[in-house]
Amino acid sequence: MGILSLLLLLPVLGSAAIILLPAGNGLLIRRVAIGVSGLTLLLSWSLIGSFDSANPALQFVEHVPWNVRMGTSYALGIDGISFPMVLLATLLSFIAILASTSIRDSSKGYYMLMLLLETAMLGVFMAQDWALFYVFWELTLIPLFFLIDRWGGKGRQMASLNFVLYTMGGSVFMLVSMLVLYDGMPQHSFGMAEMAAAGNALSQHKQLLIFLGFLVGFGVKMPIFPIHGWLPLAHVEAPSPVSILLSGILLKMGSYGLIRAATTLPEAVVSMQGILAGLALFSLVYGGLLAWRQSDLKGMIAYSSVSHMGVVLLGIATLNQTGLTGAVMQMVAHGLVAGALFLLIGLLYERTHTRDINDYSSLMRSTPRFAFFTVLAFVGAVGMPGTAGFVAELHAIVGGFARWGWVVVLLSIGVMISAAYAIRTIGRLFTGPVSRKMQGIEDLRTPEMAAAGILSIGILFIGIFPATALQMMSASIIQVSGLFAGG
Amino acid sequence: MVLNQFVWLVPLLPLLAAAWIGAGYVAGWNRGESGERQTALVASGATLLSLLFILALDILAMLNGAPGQLDFGTWLASGDYRVQLSFSLDALGLSMATLVVFLCFISLRFSVNYLHREAGFQRFFMVMSLFTAAMLLIVTAGNAVLTFVGWELAGVSSYLLIAYAYDRPTATANATRAFVTNRIGDAGFILGIYLSFTWLGSVEWPMLNHGVDSIETLSVGLLAFGFLIAAAAKSALVPFSTWISRALEGPTSSSAVFYGAVMVHAGVYLVIRMAPVFEHNPMLMMALAALGVLTALYGFLGGLVQTDVKSALMFAVTTQIGLMFLWCGLGWSEFAAWHLATHALWRGYQFLSAPAHMHMMMRPNRPLRGWLARQRWLYTAALQRFWLDHLADSLLVKPSKQMSKDMQNFDERIVNRFIGLPGSASAVSSLAQWESRHRGDTRVEGDTGDIGHGRGFMGRAMERLASLFGWFEEHLILRGGSEGLLAVIQHLGKYVQHIENLLVQPRYLLLMIMATFVVIL
Repeated sequence: MGILSLLLLLPVLGSAAIILLPAGNGLLIRRVAIGVSGLTLLLSWSLIGSFDSANPALQFVEHVPWNVRMGTSYALGIDGISFPMVLLATLLSFIAILASTSIRDSSKGYYMLMLLLETAMLGVFMAQDWALFYVFWELTLIPLFFLIDRWGGKGRQMASLNFVLYTMGGSVFMLVSMLVLYDGMPQHSFGMAEMAAAGNALSQHKQLLIFLGFLVGFGVKMPIFPIHGWLPLAHVEAPSPVSILLSGILLKMGSYGLIRAATTLPEAVVSMQGILAGLALFSLVYGGLLAWRQSDLKGMIAYSSVSHMGVVLLGIATLNQTGLTGAVMQMVAHGLVAGALFLLIGLLYERTHTRDINDYSSLMRSTPRFAFFTVLAFVGAVGMPGTAGFVAELHAIVGGFARWGWVVVLLSIGVMISAAYAIRTIGRLFTGPVSRKMQGIEDLRTPEMAAAGILSIGILFIGIFPATALQMMSASIIQVSGLFAGG
Repeated sequence: MVLNQFVWLVPLLPLLAAAWIGAGYVAGWNRGESGERQTALVASGATLLSLLFILALDILAMLNGAPGQLDFGTWLASGDYRVQLSFSLDALGLSMATLVVFLCFISLRFSVNYLHREAGFQRFFMVMSLFTAAMLLIVTAGNAVLTFVGWELAGVSSYLLIAYAYDRPTATANATRAFVTNRIGDAGFILGIYLSFTWLGSVEWPMLNHGVDSIETLSVGLLAFGFLIAAAAKSALVPFSTWISRALEGPTSSSAVFYGAVMVHAGVYLVIRMAPVFEHNPMLMMALAALGVLTALYGFLGGLVQTDVKSALMFAVTTQIGLMFLWCGLGWSEFAAWHLATHALWRGYQFLSAPAHMHMMMRPNRPLRGWLARQRWLYTAALQRFWLDHLADSLLVKPSKQMSKDMQNFDERIVNRFIGLPGSASAVSSLAQWESRHRGDTRVEGDTGDIGHGRGFMGRAMERLASLFGWFEEHLILRGGSEGLLAVIQHLGKYVQHIENLLVQPRYLLLMIMATFVVIL
């Protein structure tokens, strides 16, 4: 069995083990879950040593025919684009499970579902067969539906239903596109490489129709402007650890899929480049302004995710090396930043039971550690130099400028808006008049500080030494951007 | 020579001592009285090492001749602009460095007892070490930019030591005054550096001194004028003279090195260092001489009316400095250098012994000569220090203040309103805010508070756009999209349920079966 299969299997085994544990012993269940996700984390990060970043091809490839008549196979592999996502997914899963201290009722089911979700997410990033990809894609829905519906906030039923409907609706389009593409191929296969070869050969018109299906499917997840309706509800209502995963990794599945679809149907993307960039810039400003209007802290971070994913879409739309680097970098950066923000705000909510920003004030006195990490995370969200977001935004701006010129100034406006709400929030939360309600709040405990610390170190490390991360991605990104260099 | 290769240690050692003392104070390992010994040891040890090093260099220079310009590579390079990490170890540089480090060392040793149990003991030694490093850099640096680095560091440490007793308003006000006056000179220095770069392409002292032959006299004049302003401000020549008498607020031992012996001579050093440049332009030589004479007169007359030891000494220093500039103006720069050295030593001794000076006085002051004593107007003028302070106030300070007031008004009335910053008038302290909230008042003025409200022109525009988007999101995406989707599905579900209900009734079932038969048949 290959190492990638082992990575997929570990969390499943963990959740199986949790089923066997007695339901009453919440602490033991929690420890097992932390142990399993920690082990997965170590295993995935140990791959860094053997991952050859100079090689643009797939690595650690596993290929087992699954349904020969259909042409599906169990094919796994990672390259410079998916490997950072895998690392991010295992890291954020570990941190989300670590931060789940507030889940007390029926924790057995909760941790089981969290581990299943981890497997499904990893599967999406590793799958090298569209059929397998689709299976894992849909598999993420099931644990998420229950996680939101069972452990969420007041409007959780509505939110979970909405989430599933939207995503299912999107994936129907994706499925239809896949089947049309499959149908048009002479050699019937779902393998990504084979489908890409077939897709490249299609006429532009056909490519465009197929790509539109993919765009809707992935655009719902990402989310792109008019089809983001599920996101604010789901992010706000989900329990905080699930919000970490939702915005940290689930959104990246959309953009990751979009990059893969773009390599499959290059001519279609080239012809839609302008529309994609327009949508990206609009999402950027739209999400930023709505985040600025939110008085609900989680709602604010949710809308800021819309804004930040706009940067990713813009980077993808440039179709040049710099822009794509910016997109992948922003996926990583936003994963870390949004993870850190949801983690900290979630922990704060556990202590104060309010998410309304107007209820907070002068937290600096009672909770200096919270203040430190939250300020750092917000600074990262704004994309200050020295944080990962800066590297990403700079690449996206440079890439966009090379393609469209001054229009990308809108991106800077988006950054300015994000600075407006980030600084306003910092000011509201930590400074201002002393309020009696906000005294005596417990500061971060050691494990919580460790979780926040890991993410902060990640944000700063990539910001200060971007070369390590850039090097990991560059070979694959050069290969992808090479597809569009001619067009 | 191996030793020459380590000349950069000379300014570096005191700098490291300063850094060590500073770090130690922050980390808490040399605070309080128990840390005094260690602090003094580090500071004077570093200075002593520098002194020994310089002496060794001196001996070598006497045996083998001075090494001259030493280059340790490029420090800054941008386009054609290039600043070398170079040192000038000629006779002038070496002798000045020896003088400086010797006086600094003496003064440091003196301060160990003088400042015993003072609150700012560590601070004093840190700044003194910093100052020693700065002065050594000034006199050993091989180019104008490195000298300027030392020049600025010396200015900062002078500021810090004048304000040594920072709880006294006069001390801090005088420190600011001295510092600001020095900044005028710094502007001149920067002008000089800039002009050397553009016209000569280099700021190395030898290049500067030789390169001026190739450019016009007028250009040389402008270039040297910048450096002259710098020298005049640092050495307190006439229009700038008043800062130095205000600078005596610091501890005596620091006054001794700063204003008696070392720093005040930095301007003279600069002029001597650039003597070939000045000699190139007769007008400048005349300006040097005139400034020197004026300053000497100012010092002489001002000194006659002083009533305390330190001020009297200060005016004596001013007189002597004026004379040195006069020598430079006459072209006797070597003589000026000798004058500088002997004066520095003698004045350093006098300043250090100033606290005990009254005890050493054996006889009363000589009375003034009759003709001078009869000039009442001179007496008033000298008492008022020739109104130089007032002149500076009314020519520079007041217009600047008024202008800044106008700017502030513009900011508050127009710019702040436009961009939506609260004016200073509406700023409320957080205590007042808290109290008014406590009383149940509505929001305090200036705290519009609510999320999603902007101030100023841009803020309003942002608010409008955001509320438009908010409406769109609320009605079309959330209510129309998400909830609408659910509603449609529920609606459809009801219809299907209805049909289902009908279908399970027997009569429709029969109908269906019959219909099926009809189709089959």
